[in-house]
Amino acid sequence: MTDTPMLNEWYPVGILTQLTKAGRDTLLMGEAINVACDSLGAPVVSAEDGRTLPVRARYGHVWTSLGSPTKELFDIPEADQPGRRLVDVGVVRVKCSPLRAVENFLDIAHFPFVHTDILGAEPHTEVQRYEVQIREEVDEVWATKVKFYQPQAAKSAAGGITTDYMYRVPAPTVSILYKTCPPRPGEWDVITLFVQPMAEDLCQVWPWMALFDDQTPMTDLIHFQQMIFLQDRSILENQLPRLLPLDPGMEIPTRADMTSVAYRRWLKRHGFTYGAQLVAA
Amino acid sequence: MSSNATCSDMFTLRGDLGAPSFLPWIARHAGRLGIIGRVTAASADEVSLLVEGPPDLVDAMELGVSLGPIDVWVESIKRERLLSRP
Amino acid sequence: MALSRDVPPQVVIPTFVDGRELAVWRSQSGRIAAWDDRCPHRGMRLSHGFVRGESLSCIYHGWSYNEAGLCQRIPAHPDLVPPEAIRVPTVAAVESDGIIWVASEPASQPPPTLTGLVALRSLTVEAPATAIATAAGMPIDQDGALRPDLAGIACVLLVQPIPGDRTVLHVLVASNASPAAQAAVSRALEDLRRRVESERLAA
Repeated sequence: MTDTPMLNEWYPVGILTQLTKAGRDTLLMGEAINVACDSLGAPVVSAEDGRTLPVRARYGHVWTSLGSPTKELFDIPEADQPGRRLVDVGVVRVKCSPLRAVENFLDIAHFPFVHTDILGAEPHTEVQRYEVQIREEVDEVWATKVKFYQPQAAKSAAGGITTDYMYRVPAPTVSILYKTCPPRPGEWDVITLFVQPMAEDLCQVWPWMALFDDQTPMTDLIHFQQMIFLQDRSILENQLPRLLPLDPGMEIPTRADMTSVAYRRWLKRHGFTYGAQLVAA
Repeated sequence: MSSNATCSDMFTLRGDLGAPSFLPWIARHAGRLGIIGRVTAASADEVSLLVEGPPDLVDAMELGVSLGPIDVWVESIKRERLLSRP
Repeated sequence: MALSRDVPPQVVIPTFVDGRELAVWRSQSGRIAAWDDRCPHRGMRLSHGFVRGESLSCIYHGWSYNEAGLCQRIPAHPDLVPPEAIRVPTVAAVESDGIIWVASEPASQPPPTLTGLVALRSLTVEAPATAIATAAGMPIDQDGALRPDLAGIACVLLVQPIPGDRTVLHVLVASNASPAAQAAVSRALEDLRRRVESERLAA
């Protein structure tokens, strides 16, 4: 088993409402684990050698770690805000590095081309300057003042609007997106990407949402997000190299890629290299 | 600024910059962006780099250099605008 | 290494030559180009891109490249005139007699002339070229082709190895071969494939 600082982090491995006593076998950073629930329905995760792993039940998902985490799972205050609908979108398996899956989720320049006429459309392709920083006090990557014109920003949006975004990376394979909420100006809809690193080039993505939207049926909310993510998957499984390069020697990051560069710097500083490529191909 | 505007900035990089791979990496990346990236001073913890080209590409150079090769850690980049030709 | 008709105008497809993944595409005016199948921006396969007029664009962020492989537009930064340094490595591509030829190193000799022949189809075989040659009972000639008689009709099979010990055969028959003859050749080809693949499974 690889010994990397990433061992002592929390990772999503299942949806709380879908646990069974027999449990489901899956992979976490190359090690086989079983994700089940006890007679009271509480989640239980055991490793291949039989040892039980630490567990947290948060944001609709089961979280575990192969190591011993030094801090609690990150906080999403909006998750406990009354009036929000909490949506477990499901799971999508992707043959790419878990870090690539997160990096893609931090990028808006691809909206007009990958999510055409939904999250973006030509000719509205310019990415305005925005701000990115690593917030030292919480040790998280934050991108703020991100603006983008969108034909249909969310199921609840009637027409095209200029959408405001914030992006947050609270853990190596987790990315949280805060976006303008059409029915509730001043509030943010929360869309997250919880990524389970199965191997360095294989992951499972568990999207989760906390939205203000009382009209749209649950299945439509789920299909909307799954469709978006399946569009991303065809990109993620065709990027070379498959691992995430921490040295952009073979790439040309531009200002629109600022969040991706900050994320890679943050990974580099922490030695979070599982799924990363250290030397430019 | 019109599309063929150019500017020249002095980058002052600080961090763990002593690895021999760094200066060749800077030259390669400037070449890949088609702009001028000339190191004017270099020590183990500070490198001064003159970068000239279209503003968007000078920004791109800053982003690339902020990562650099794996055996280098760039803690901060201070940019000083020397000249800009609209 | 593709059939011309498999690359109609404004289409891009992936192919593989001498260990290199390539994107082969035809512009609106009919011009063929073969490039490294990787966008210099963030490594997305260009064979998933889209062709507009005389340029090919990457599907990920829309960076577009002219027929010489030079980047001409970055949609996220519309005012930026991309420098010539941002470009996609290209390889020589030549089209003759309905076949697109690609040479990764500068080609020493021109592609073989295949006058009087017409492209029938391309066929992927789950076996290396050597296994196909032995099954056909003949060596691969210096043009990289096998020239068996299939269903009694003289054929030329252009052999293109691809990753995973697999091979693509580009099949040509005499241009005067009747539709019935062409169908017979096609069936014989599939028998040859079945034989080669089942032998490999048995081995």
